[in-house]
Amino acid sequence: MLFFVVLALSNGLLIGVSRTINGRLSTRRGAFAASVWNHVVGLAFLSVVLLVMRVWPDVTRVPVAAYAGGVFGALFVAVNSYVFPRLGAMSAAVLVIAGQVLSAVVIDCVRQAALPSPLRLAGVALVLAGLCLPLLRK
Amino acid sequence: MRLTTGLLAMAAGVLLTLMTLTNAVLAQHTGAVFASWAAHGIGAVVALLLLLVTPRTATPEGRTPLWYYLGGIPGALVVVLSAIAVNSELALSGTIALMLTGQVIFGAVSDHLGLLDTPRRPITGTDLAVAGCVLSGAVLIVLGGA
Repeated sequence: MLFFVVLALSNGLLIGVSRTINGRLSTRRGAFAASVWNHVVGLAFLSVVLLVMRVWPDVTRVPVAAYAGGVFGALFVAVNSYVFPRLGAMSAAVLVIAGQVLSAVVIDCVRQAALPSPLRLAGVALVLAGLCLPLLRK
Repeated sequence: MRLTTGLLAMAAGVLLTLMTLTNAVLAQHTGAVFASWAAHGIGAVVALLLLLVTPRTATPEGRTPLWYYLGGIPGALVVVLSAIAVNSELALSGTIALMLTGQVIFGAVSDHLGLLDTPRRPITGTDLAVAGCVLSGAVLIVLGGA
């Protein structure tokens, strides 16, 4: 169990490393170039992983819309690489997480046509309170 | 100015949710690694198109270190490792909660020490309070179920 906890935590660390490096590249080559390099290098790396694993799934029944993730990903890396050097690693991570979880709650609400659980609502309140803290200090 | 950048960062988070949502459909049909491989391929094409239609940015003086180009490797590694963690006792919610925590810890340490060529940034009490609230709120949302 501890192994998986460390693994998942290290994954968060790797995300930070990846976004920091892309942010560095964006300061020299621009945010869109950083997104291109991130995707090309990641594609090459995953191609090796797929070749080693020798798995090739049946893709004939996959809905085309399921491939739209790549479009969002390309935009995400560009925007994130732009904001990362400007906000710093911690604030950028915190704000991205806030946008991520708040939009996830809204999307779940719409898709399930139901209000979030009380625990989730408490979470939303905490996230919003955190985001308002710097505004109060001014 | 800082507010606009902050809102842009939150918009990036929304993009990430949309990406996760669509990639999850693809992963259900094909598996996590293949889904990410396909998303990287399409993402590369889209990013290239965006690069071509946006104004060119002038590259500053000096050489760009080679490792600046390799951010895609740790990013892609995350996909492989989280597929392993999700299948453990941690399940999806536990894995996500720990990954979010790892990101914030990395951010704090990186800003404090100036890791990976980044400028050192002092972390204020307000920064820590914001991080604490957002992270604990996010974990409640993830663990609280839909």
